[in-house]
Amino acid sequence: MQDLLSVVTLGSIYLLFALGMSLTWGTIDILNFGHGAIFMFSSFTAYLVLQQTELGLPLIMLIGLIVGALMSLLIQVLAFEQIIKRAKDKRAAEMQILIGGIGVAIIPLAIAQHYTKSNPFGFSKSTFKVNTWTMGDLRITNIAALSIVVAVVLWVSAAVWLRRSRQGLALRSIGVDAETAALMGIDRRKMALATMAVAGGMAGLSGVLFTFGLGAITPESGDTLLVKAFACIILGGVGSMRGVAFGAFFLAAAETVVLTQTSGSWVEAVSFGLIFLVLLVRPSGVFGRAEVRRT
Amino acid sequence: MMSFYDSHLVLFQATFTGLILALSIQVPLRMGVFSFAGAGSYGIGAYLAAILVIKQDASAFVAIGAAMLATAVIGLLLGLLIFKLNGLYLAMATVAFDLIIGVIAINGGKTTGGSTGLYGVITDFTMSQLFTITLIALVLVALSEVGRTGRRVDAVRDDPELASSMGISLRRYRLTAFVVSGALGGLAGSMNVLVRSAIGPLDIGFGLIVLGLTMIVVGGSRSWKGAVIGAVIFTWLPDVLTAIGAWQELVYGIVVALAAVFLPRGIYGVLVDLNKGLQRRSRERHDPPPAAAEEAAGDVDPTTGDVRELALNEEAVP
Repeated sequence: MQDLLSVVTLGSIYLLFALGMSLTWGTIDILNFGHGAIFMFSSFTAYLVLQQTELGLPLIMLIGLIVGALMSLLIQVLAFEQIIKRAKDKRAAEMQILIGGIGVAIIPLAIAQHYTKSNPFGFSKSTFKVNTWTMGDLRITNIAALSIVVAVVLWVSAAVWLRRSRQGLALRSIGVDAETAALMGIDRRKMALATMAVAGGMAGLSGVLFTFGLGAITPESGDTLLVKAFACIILGGVGSMRGVAFGAFFLAAAETVVLTQTSGSWVEAVSFGLIFLVLLVRPSGVFGRAEVRRT
Repeated sequence: MMSFYDSHLVLFQATFTGLILALSIQVPLRMGVFSFAGAGSYGIGAYLAAILVIKQDASAFVAIGAAMLATAVIGLLLGLLIFKLNGLYLAMATVAFDLIIGVIAINGGKTTGGSTGLYGVITDFTMSQLFTITLIALVLVALSEVGRTGRRVDAVRDDPELASSMGISLRRYRLTAFVVSGALGGLAGSMNVLVRSAIGPLDIGFGLIVLGLTMIVVGGSRSWKGAVIGAVIFTWLPDVLTAIGAWQELVYGIVVALAAVFLPRGIYGVLVDLNKGLQRRSRERHDPPPAAAEEAAGDVDPTTGDVRELALNEEAVP
């Protein structure tokens, strides 16, 4: 049972992180490799603010959210929009965005590494204290419980919004056929900016929660998470909201099993192996529909 | 001069091995295969050469040859497995392949030295041998860019349907891309471990992919000259940047980001464009009518944003 609980906790962090990536990739065709850097740098900004003044949990989460959203907007306007404007065709744009994202991500990483000398940083100065609640045999920290709640609430609202609202419909239509969507009067630029901001906010929030949960993170931790999020998305199917949740919890479960059953550090290989396996056996993912798949 | 060479020997060595690494990612890219498997082959090659030298007391050439052979075969197998994937999917599958190699290296126990890696790989491999091998590899790659082969490679990349309708086997070219990329990656890795005498899991992580990719993106992804420019810049830039002190990482990042966004064809692409522009201008000054005639005949390469390109490529219409 305790293992199951840690699977759910880990899975909800993966979900929160991968949700934003899945949202932008599935709708506006942007696989943002700067997502890991946003995750790390939002948490890092909160850490810098905490060095100056004491803050409680809600304000720290707010900082993470805002910094994440702003960074994501900045990357979209300064990098991705420029790339799309200059690119020859959609395929070239996709590749260039991948490379541009990797390039842009170096900047926040360099800043954080410069200040921390690549040492882990954490929120030891916050007024919020991590407590452990015990219910029978089960132990759960308050921050783990909060992560689960936040992840589930955001996931449900994103899925419902995408499926039921007018804007959600507009966004999905961009994902299916961007040109026709534009002809129908959908402002692609505005929708893309909004989506990027939401995705960035989620990344920032997951960064803050992850740092609280773990105590401290290194500036490099964004890169690893990026590949894991990719595994979650691929496993579930690109653009599928159910899929990304399935992927996140499946990956968390698989990693926990490997961690408890084997010695050594094979855990990292789980996500890489999964990517490989899914791409070979079922490239559209478990919940992916063939017609939505774009190569 | 000689003292400069001696004190910067490590950088010269890194330039050559970095160049081969960049080529191992550039060759498949030029064939339209978005594979980063070269970085994984680099890891395999480095570890294999190190093990052969330490355990079997192999000579430098045996170690390099065995590493290249192994990585070429692994490249072929990998290619057979995943050559149907395309675009981003292929890119991520190969990134996963590269990272798995790193995890295997960490968990390899005594054979791979765990997280400390292998060290004490000492042979009689000399700088002039390193230079010669790099040159041979570079010439071979350069030959694939000219003449018939070059045109075929361009066709396979730019218009696969056209290429296959002209009787070019896409499958064969894509598999070749994997094999060549594997062999080049293995070459780069094995030579690097021979000159540096040590290899660890940290040397073959995500950073290696980023390094190889930035070299060809900033240098230019369509020509070996771009890989040379990139390898020289990114091996020497950190050394030059030590002059500005603590912020060198940041400047490095900004350079890469700007190049990735604004110079999609790299520095070499910019040089080519400049050269074309200059030639056109001097031609117009000396002898205006033929240039105009050529343009009217539609012989001039349409530049980006040109109306003619939009006409050629409907998808580009915003």
